[in-house]
Amino acid sequence: MAEILLKNAYVIDPISGINGEVMDIAISGGKIVEEVSSKPEVIDCQGCLTLPGGIDSHTHISGTKVNFGRYMSPEDMRAGRTAKKGPMHITSGYSVPTTYGNSYRYSALGYTTLVEGAVAPLEARHTHEEFKFTPLQDSCANILFDGNWGMLRALEEGDIKRAAAIIAWTLNAVKGFAIKLTNPGGTEAWGFGKNVSCINEKIPTFDLTPAEIIKGAIRANELLHLPHSVHLHCNNLGTPGNFTCTIGTFGHVPDLNDKRQTLYATHVQFHSYGGTGWSDFCSKSEPVANMVNFRPQIVIDMGQVMFGRTTTMTADGPMEFNLYRLHHDKWSNHDVELETGSGIIPVNYRKKNLVNSIMWAIGLELALLVKNPWQCLLTTDNPNGAPFIKYPEIIALLMSKRYRDAEFAMIHQDTEKRVPLPAIDRELDWHDIAVMTRAGQARALGITDLGKGYLMPGAEADIAIYPIKTDEIDPSAEYEKIIQGFARTEYTIKRGRVVSRRGDAIIDGENTTFWVKPKVPAAYDIQHDPTFMELFERNYSVRMSNYPVQEEYLHRNHCIETETDL
Amino acid sequence: MNVIITFRNHENPFIPIEAEMITPDAFLEEKNEICVAVGNRSYPLSEVADFSIVGEASSVDDIEVLIRGDTSRVKRVGEYMSGGAITIEGDIGMHCGNFMSGGRIEILGSADGWLGREMKGGEIICHGDAGDYCASGYRGGRRGMRGGSVEVFGSVGDFACEHIAGGEVLIHGNTGDFACAEMKGGTVTILGDTSRVCANMSAGTCYVYGSAVEMIPTFEKKGTVNHDGVLFHHFRGDVANRGNGDLYTVHFTYLQ
Ligand SMILES: [Zn+2]
Repeated sequence: MAEILLKNAYVIDPISGINGEVMDIAISGGKIVEEVSSKPEVIDCQGCLTLPGGIDSHTHISGTKVNFGRYMSPEDMRAGRTAKKGPMHITSGYSVPTTYGNSYRYSALGYTTLVEGAVAPLEARHTHEEFKFTPLQDSCANILFDGNWGMLRALEEGDIKRAAAIIAWTLNAVKGFAIKLTNPGGTEAWGFGKNVSCINEKIPTFDLTPAEIIKGAIRANELLHLPHSVHLHCNNLGTPGNFTCTIGTFGHVPDLNDKRQTLYATHVQFHSYGGTGWSDFCSKSEPVANMVNFRPQIVIDMGQVMFGRTTTMTADGPMEFNLYRLHHDKWSNHDVELETGSGIIPVNYRKKNLVNSIMWAIGLELALLVKNPWQCLLTTDNPNGAPFIKYPEIIALLMSKRYRDAEFAMIHQDTEKRVPLPAIDRELDWHDIAVMTRAGQARALGITDLGKGYLMPGAEADIAIYPIKTDEIDPSAEYEKIIQGFARTEYTIKRGRVVSRRGDAIIDGENTTFWVKPKVPAAYDIQHDPTFMELFERNYSVRMSNYPVQEEYLHRNHCIETETDL
Repeated sequence: MNVIITFRNHENPFIPIEAEMITPDAFLEEKNEICVAVGNRSYPLSEVADFSIVGEASSVDDIEVLIRGDTSRVKRVGEYMSGGAITIEGDIGMHCGNFMSGGRIEILGSADGWLGREMKGGEIICHGDAGDYCASGYRGGRRGMRGGSVEVFGSVGDFACEHIAGGEVLIHGNTGDFACAEMKGGTVTILGDTSRVCANMSAGTCYVYGSAVEMIPTFEKKGTVNHDGVLFHHFRGDVANRGNGDLYTVHFTYLQ
């Protein structure tokens, strides 16, 4: 494989403790090495900002739900069309682009690894098929367990080890990466036309509360020594007053892992709402951020809302039904047998709308009020809060108080009385941004051991070089330059090859899918467990032997084997 | 200006030709090379058809395009046209007159699916039958035809006028299932029979001179009215969609 030498790179690599050093980086065989031997291709970075490749720890880019978002919105597919150019395929779509559209646009932003936030195990094949055509980023699939009957029954019986065994079998079968819980118990209740109002309410079909499901899944996750923690979409998303539920949930999380967090709570913006209804709706980012500040075992991501059109898509079926009743527009609702469900609604977040304006403020407040950037990662829950192409604007908002104030002047005038944002002076620096867009993600996902998220010898050569000279920009005043600089890399390097140059993909690329295989002792091999087999044969529409995703659906992949405590 | 395009019989008649550049607007631009896609390859029009141009034009309305030969799989003819005329001697493929805003398309044969999809103005006359989704929106779209007129002398397929939001449609024959589903405006007249008509309509007017079979039960019966010397049953709905559309039908039957 070709060798590359990056000269004069201005490096910020938080995991390796490097904060703004001009250095050379040697690349050989897809890895970063001490030095290159023969005549490498030399790229003179001329002091440009050089970061590890971006990692999105929660995005929706592949799978049945994403694809339904594409075909229920022809108007979205007509937006953002690009023609064939060099090795780049035709793309279309704005908030839910085609797979190549996602891949090229993420690559232009310097992203090299993506985590699909919610995959129903029964439908995982489709996700893996789309991963294959998202060639410029490595991929991981979070697998939904919120309504998994096998796991819920084991938890109901108080048998955590059995729950862990079912999780292990399922993750291995569908080639998944981590445990995702979406509105645990609520999506299951939605299968019977109900929801749950908070974490201590019994769900209709099992003798369990959401809190018990969350605690059980966390303990099972740690028994399996999975790289990532439980990845939670809290109950009650989008409801005024839901912050009490969010704080209550965080209060249940023990500190069980010394390498990473014990709970990853996603798109917390949607879970930090005060008020008793839409008329007194307000921000409760302060108590939520305080809770995170006191609990190092929790990492959250923002789920920032940005103004404009987008598409909401989630496994949280009952929440999407509530949105449908508000908008009375297109709506998709989907049930996945014994596992989960989903809903999709197109939305338009407007500056003139008070609720939307408050939502916009809350996401920023969380990022500014959580003291440790390793605990609050930058996302929009793409495309739920906004399409990921808005990330450069979010970075600029976090780095510039002046930009925030300018935007604040444009939104609904009553917002000021409902949110603390105008009083927050904090401006994040380049290092904070590097943490919130790659290093923090790598650590939270537990993939630093795989060479992700840093730039020292041994690491994967996933690198983003931005046309930004940090000593020539005052981020606070020149926020336009931040937006431009982060919108298009000079070079995006993926596994040692330049894949994207000034916004255009220049090779076809080939990605890797990471999946986990917990080593389960024979006594806990659920494959031959008569009770589990009976549940499967009786209730699923497919046979157990046809359920696993065959290896041919994966292309290049890396299996992470874990030792377990079963 | 008169343009005559004669499509040759192509070797593999199952490979569609996409011909969205065949519009009077495109011929107004002299420098324009008219290209078509055959399968996934792009060719100059001369690869698949003989064509001649006689005379000149100072505006798009001076241009008449005559299309002959094997055109049953030629798609998207007249897409986005804003004026002038296209006459098709035989059958035409899918998506003829997509998004058109002016001018006139006359089809002497039959049209395939999506005739006049999302059209905004102008006129389409089809002497034969039309396929599914005639004068409709695209799948997942919010609004179908918004203006202009479509007249079909034969029958049409399923989902005719789905999402229609404006304009006039006259169908001399019968329709398939779910004509005028999600109707939001405009006027549709069906001289023949129809099935499960106006499901989920919110506004607009539909006349059925034949029989509406398998009527949707969520319409409120308002009595009878005389229109054009014919006695119609008048319905309002679709109540299930809080709708205010008017459906007039001479005969109707509910699903048994
Ligand atoms: Zn999500």
